[in-house]
Amino acid sequence: MKALEVRNISKMFPGNLANDNISFSVEKGEIFAIVGENGAGKSTLMNIIYGIYTPSGGDLLVNGNEVKIRSVEDAIKLRMGMVHQEFMLIPRFTVTQNIVIGDEPHKGIFFDYGRAVREVRELSERVSLTVDATALAGDLPVGVQQRIEILKVLRRGAEILIFDEPTAVLTPEETVELFVTMRKLQAEGKTILFISHKLKEVMEIADRIAVLRRGKLQGIVNKKDTNEEELARMMVGRNVVLEIPKVDVEVGAVAFACHDLHVRNNRGYEAVKGMTFDVRRGEIVGIAGVQGNGQDELVNAMIGFSHPLSGSMELNGKNMHMVTTAQLRKEGMSYITEDRARRGLVMPYTVRENSVMGQHLSRPFSKGVRMDYDKIGEFAQGKVKEYDIRPGDVYDTAGSLSGGNQQKLILARELSLPHNFLIASQPTRGLDVGATEFVYRKLLDEKAAGKAILLISLELSEILGLSDRILVMFEGRIVGETTPSKTTEEALGLLMLGVGIEKKVQS
Amino acid sequence: MSESNFTTRFLKAFGIDNKGRSRRDPLNVWVPLISIGLALIAGMIVIAASGRNPFQAYGLLFGGSGLIPGGPAWRREFAELLLKSSMYIATGLSVALAFKGGLFNIGAEGQFWVGAIVATFFGYWAPMAHTFGAMYAALGSFGWIAQLLHSGICIIIGMLAGGAWAAVAGILYVKRGVNIVIGTIMLNWIAWFLITSWLVTGPMTPPSQTFTSGSFYVADTAKLFRIMMPTRLNTSILLILLAAYATWFLLYKTTIGYEIRAIGYTANIGMEAPRAQGINISRRVMQLMFISGALAALGGTFFILGLQYQFPNTAIMEYGWTGIGVALIGQSEPLGVVLAGLFIGALRNGATSIQIANIPKTFSDLIEGMAVGFIALQVAVRYYLVKLIERRRARRNPPADQEVAL
Repeated sequence: MKALEVRNISKMFPGNLANDNISFSVEKGEIFAIVGENGAGKSTLMNIIYGIYTPSGGDLLVNGNEVKIRSVEDAIKLRMGMVHQEFMLIPRFTVTQNIVIGDEPHKGIFFDYGRAVREVRELSERVSLTVDATALAGDLPVGVQQRIEILKVLRRGAEILIFDEPTAVLTPEETVELFVTMRKLQAEGKTILFISHKLKEVMEIADRIAVLRRGKLQGIVNKKDTNEEELARMMVGRNVVLEIPKVDVEVGAVAFACHDLHVRNNRGYEAVKGMTFDVRRGEIVGIAGVQGNGQDELVNAMIGFSHPLSGSMELNGKNMHMVTTAQLRKEGMSYITEDRARRGLVMPYTVRENSVMGQHLSRPFSKGVRMDYDKIGEFAQGKVKEYDIRPGDVYDTAGSLSGGNQQKLILARELSLPHNFLIASQPTRGLDVGATEFVYRKLLDEKAAGKAILLISLELSEILGLSDRILVMFEGRIVGETTPSKTTEEALGLLMLGVGIEKKVQS
Repeated sequence: MSESNFTTRFLKAFGIDNKGRSRRDPLNVWVPLISIGLALIAGMIVIAASGRNPFQAYGLLFGGSGLIPGGPAWRREFAELLLKSSMYIATGLSVALAFKGGLFNIGAEGQFWVGAIVATFFGYWAPMAHTFGAMYAALGSFGWIAQLLHSGICIIIGMLAGGAWAAVAGILYVKRGVNIVIGTIMLNWIAWFLITSWLVTGPMTPPSQTFTSGSFYVADTAKLFRIMMPTRLNTSILLILLAAYATWFLLYKTTIGYEIRAIGYTANIGMEAPRAQGINISRRVMQLMFISGALAALGGTFFILGLQYQFPNTAIMEYGWTGIGVALIGQSEPLGVVLAGLFIGALRNGATSIQIANIPKTFSDLIEGMAVGFIALQVAVRYYLVKLIERRRARRNPPADQEVAL
């Protein structure tokens, strides 16, 4: 039986055909994946199905009946539920309050919290999704927060669940857990639409996979009959080299070094507990680790956002104790961040204005106190061409660009700053295959140009493919150092999870 | 090319060019205009509901505001409009500039009065009054130089003092994390009571006078030049237009303005992006508060050197609060603030005239309040405007997907 059928759906935005005549159907009890690059139209399509957008043309059928979904309420009535990428939870509410909000059990005009807690417990037992019904949502890890979102849609009776890039915010273990949950839901007869651009995950969880490219449906394939390379080809329309070419560069002098570095996190606990390492010119040092093992705190100390508790840092031989970001920048530090919206770019600023931030005080971008926007415009125009930043108008705001193009803009800016040490913190997070490849190429160019690069990533394939040396970080310490040729993803994975560390210390 | 055009070159010398202008959102202009329109309509309903003639009321209000030329008293009304407006524009610019940097400077009121009292002091302070008085006499027909110097010095010191007063809140915010709203509002009351309960009833009052008389009067050389006899109109309007231009230039043409706007745009998400690029946020915030305070204080110096010539005991807190509304209606843009300041000035100026129609003069406050209220609802106004535009576009053009089929 067909749970959902999409017939000739199109969606036109001004100047952009986001969905072009898309048709497919999803069987009941199926995990159906929709993959595509950023901006391929996946989210638009889901928003149409979920009633957030109205399509410019085409029909939707739910359980074989033609339906008009004009609002999210309509979609919920048709037993659909969406688990958003950004959770819509109220941190100060308990798990129960978050789950029942919008449809609260009540006694007269009073909210019946006791009954709500019982309902939530029953539900979580029935679908075996464990949550602490009375905990505050804001105190829980991201993976559990997502579980709350899932319970919320299940409680509303959802039979068709839409997961919009659910793994983007999860750690690898949480992803594994999520997949277990998804299989459970499938076993219960729920239908699941899974939006992603991570091919590995799609290959792991989906039954069938629809590939979108530039708003068009490229094809629907059974997982059994396909592989990652084929999917990648369908997504980008050409062969993407997922293998990263090796670049051999002679390793030079030490650019960055830290010794016995201790850093506190913003809650005052020590998150980096004595790290000693260096990065030399012409090499990429990869820091592998599960999220939340002190990487963020390490980066914050390295870019001058926080001061280390103790230990020393040196950049180009100069002591960088208690320095500001400005001083580090002056000494030649560049920084690519995964948090493009908060830390990378000023979203309401144009491409032009963003392209020079950090060097706006030097010529030719300003003279004295006066900015020279003509020169900045020329510079930005050049970078837009060089980095193929689309749509390519320097007067567009950074916020209007897709994630991949935002990252290109950040790269363009950071690599044009005078620098010799580059911190790349999860530089490909949330990027599609094409943009990821672009970032890799740029990092290798940097290495070839003799820059020292510190790569912090959660993606093991990235670490293994790019790094010359790999440091494994676990609970604020370096628990292993290796090279890509001497290790495997499995071995690294175990080290990252702290397996076998005890033994090593003893022997 | 138009590069050779004199006007273009002239404007370019002041940093005004048309680049990137097409990208500006026309809604930024329409939203305040519609808000004002809605406020005027709502005011009409109120008057009609109270059994009076709304058209007569608006006729009197704007007739007496000085906005519309004509009538026997127009020159005087026009002069009064500009005099009032220049003070509202000063505090409006102050609030708007801070707002661009993500700071809510609610203390323009206090900064205004600090500027006023300091200008008063240096206006009458004997060493300066004597020096410039002697200079005035010695220079003969060039006496205006003495006046220019004395009044200029009073204005500059007043601005510096107002800036320093605001910078206190900036320093408390940066160094101690004191919320800028709390800091500035507290400083308002400190400034106000220091001045009215102590300075102008004690040390700055002539000993022979009673405590109700206000401060000493400033020397003639400290007064602003009059530019339209016989009205009171003085150079304050020219100075404030210059200040508005300077504010615009600061925001959009300088490195400081570039950093300030980057800070303002990211203020509610921790300002990490500008920080990560090495921008010194603490320093900019303090500078911004200083400049903002100096702008408000400029209005205070107008109040003394252009209108009162002393610190009167009748002064009431009004200008800084009004500045918040002016900044909101002006969408925090310098040009918008100038226009909004003129609009508020006109409302206040015409307020007394409407009493002829038996309408309380607070009616203009009602309209002002509603205009600010509708501005506060600008998200809704924007939403319906966008919907309206889309609907009209859809009616004019064929549906979008057919367009693609072509």
